Amino acid sequence: MVVSPVHFIAVPLLAAFLMPILAKVNKNLLRIVPGIVLTYLGYVSVVLMNRVATEGTIIEVLAGWSAPWGINLVYTPFTGFLATLMIAMSFLIWLYSFKFKKVDDEPALKYFILQLMLTTGSVGLVLTGDIFNFFVFMEIIALSSYALTAFYRDRNGAEAAFKYLLIGAFASTLFLLAIVLLYSQVGTLNMAEISVRMHDVPTSMKVSILVLFLVGIGIEAEMFPLNGWAPDAYSQAPSPVGVAFAALVVKAGVYGLVRITYTLFGIEGSGIGPFLIIMGGITLVMAEITALKQTSLKRMLAYSSIGQMGFVLIAFGIGTHEAVFGAIFLMFNHAIIKGLLFMSGSYLVYNTPNKEIKYLSGYGMKMPVISLFFSLGALAIVGLPPFAGFWSKLYILLAAADGALYGLIALILVVSIIEIVYYFRVVGRLYFGKPAEGSIMRKPTVGGMIAMSILAIAILVVGFYPDIITGYIDAAASSILNTDEYIKNALGAVNELTPVENIIQ
Amino acid sequence: MRKLLVLFLLAVIAFSLYKPLSTIEFGADRMGSIENPTTVGAYYLSKTPSELSVANVITAIVVNYRGFDTLGEVSVLFLAATGLGSILYRRRKEGEHSISISKPSSQLLQAGSKLIYPAILVLGAYVFIHGHLTPGGGFQGGAIIATGILLMMMSYKDFHLNHTVLTWIESLAGITFATIGIAGLIVGKTFLENFMPIGTLNDLFSGGIIPIIYIAVGFKVAAELAGVLDTLLSIKEK
Repeated sequence: MVVSPVHFIAVPLLAAFLMPILAKVNKNLLRIVPGIVLTYLGYVSVVLMNRVATEGTIIEVLAGWSAPWGINLVYTPFTGFLATLMIAMSFLIWLYSFKFKKVDDEPALKYFILQLMLTTGSVGLVLTGDIFNFFVFMEIIALSSYALTAFYRDRNGAEAAFKYLLIGAFASTLFLLAIVLLYSQVGTLNMAEISVRMHDVPTSMKVSILVLFLVGIGIEAEMFPLNGWAPDAYSQAPSPVGVAFAALVVKAGVYGLVRITYTLFGIEGSGIGPFLIIMGGITLVMAEITALKQTSLKRMLAYSSIGQMGFVLIAFGIGTHEAVFGAIFLMFNHAIIKGLLFMSGSYLVYNTPNKEIKYLSGYGMKMPVISLFFSLGALAIVGLPPFAGFWSKLYILLAAADGALYGLIALILVVSIIEIVYYFRVVGRLYFGKPAEGSIMRKPTVGGMIAMSILAIAILVVGFYPDIITGYIDAAASSILNTDEYIKNALGAVNELTPVENIIQ
Repeated sequence: MRKLLVLFLLAVIAFSLYKPLSTIEFGADRMGSIENPTTVGAYYLSKTPSELSVANVITAIVVNYRGFDTLGEVSVLFLAATGLGSILYRRRKEGEHSISISKPSSQLLQAGSKLIYPAILVLGAYVFIHGHLTPGGGFQGGAIIATGILLMMMSYKDFHLNHTVLTWIESLAGITFATIGIAGLIVGKTFLENFMPIGTLNDLFSGGIIPIIYIAVGFKVAAELAGVLDTLLSIKEK
């Protein structure tokens, strides 16, 4: 069997269905199986990334019906890059949480199934070429996220999950309504074909559909003012789940936003670009100012995460090749750096009341390695050279300068100062605060240490040699910007519904 | 003031939804010609009887043309059951067993449900086995079976389900669906592609892999909904 993009969905689904039985055979299997699946998917990613680099976009037809009658998976350099990133991050999350709920197998089984399905949903959402299938994967992500948020079954977790559930269910409804309206206008669900037929849709209808889509997907992408669920969910969910939110769920949401605005509606001359810049700007400023006021470490990280997504939206709103390049680079950096910050931050606040920052005084001496990881992450995320975060910020600023958006540059720099203040406040407390008496340290697991070390090395390597990754990001940026290419590839040459000469205009 | 603002916003949303919706003509034929299909719907209607030999076109769309979506929907249900199980989980203490929290039922209900329970199960099985011929299918049949189980839970306080059996049914049905998909990938080159003889239209054994998938879905939905009901309706007591 030759590897193909559908393995990203079929194999983990099969494993998730098998896991309840395997757990009855041997209870260690439930911890090992996700690792095996993710390793295999890592291998598939490597093979497919090489193939897409040499042969171009891979289209996989499902159930023997080519698009638009059936569903297809579209593995472009952009979607492939995100899928690979998600698989790699899921593997590290699995390593980090290998001993999760060691004493109680039943919740551990549920946890590993939910986490595996979260990965499946995110990767599937990125790869699919069909808008309804997109919605199905959105539901898979949403349902596993709700359950994982409430996983500790305490009062705050239940509140956070309930909030997320209400907002998320409302968003799903609007998203589905948008699909219904769209289908009533174009008579197809394939995203490439929708894109072809979009210019026949009346403007008032287009605006309604776009607004419904933006609200529906903006929740997952943490766009202001739809991100009320995020701080609670990040801080109440088990720590590996916080990492998964930052590395998978938000990335999938931003991907969806970009695919819908860039491919379905077209970013040029439609006013969507300035709209994304404004929304991104508001998200960025609101989130960073709120982060400054937080006393709980996890909430601070959550607001910082929202702010970064605002930054990504701004870059996608500018819409030039350089800006999109910076945006994708930032998505990559955010996944690895925020992953490291959440992993190390969770160990720091493991035994402190309310996860508050003020109890972290002097932890730099008590937990030297973890504090070092956290400080590295903090330095990288504010964009200091020579760490990974520097490059993405630089590219976005250069793109803004090219577009003569000087106000935007000023805004980004001011916000960066705020970011430096609240991150360095924590780092300063770690190293220069007076150690408190009698606090109990949490010893990190071996898997957790390996995962954090890999992330720290990745941050340093990408910081010093960005060239190892820029080739992939450059291809990804070209791929998302070239809608005609996407349509041509996704619909293929054989298409009875839309003559080929209509596709390329 | 705040309520007024909310009302105003709701009115704006309602208007902006009404305006585009009102442009869609009610009852107009949007399908177009079935002989020369220009929409996806017309294409399905024209191709299904000859190429899949499935009498119920909806089933053909749900299980074959868009079978990948159905695999996703099955996983959503699986996730809902798993998530509920994880949130409501409590470790069973020594000597505890689960009993239904429903109120004691009357003799009438008990006698009646005994009579009707097998009939509901048979109806559910009929609906999902004939999913490719008549209206209904795996999801509907599974839900019918679960209502039968709900009836028994309401009538008999000590009626309870064996969770090990449910887990096995659930997992095996899910594995069947995914394995058929992967078998399609090996035999017929694409995931979930039909690789079995399609038979003649309107026969019980027709439609290739479609009935098999729908039977698996029926079992899975029934087991999952029953599991959810059991989790929600029972408490652990000594």
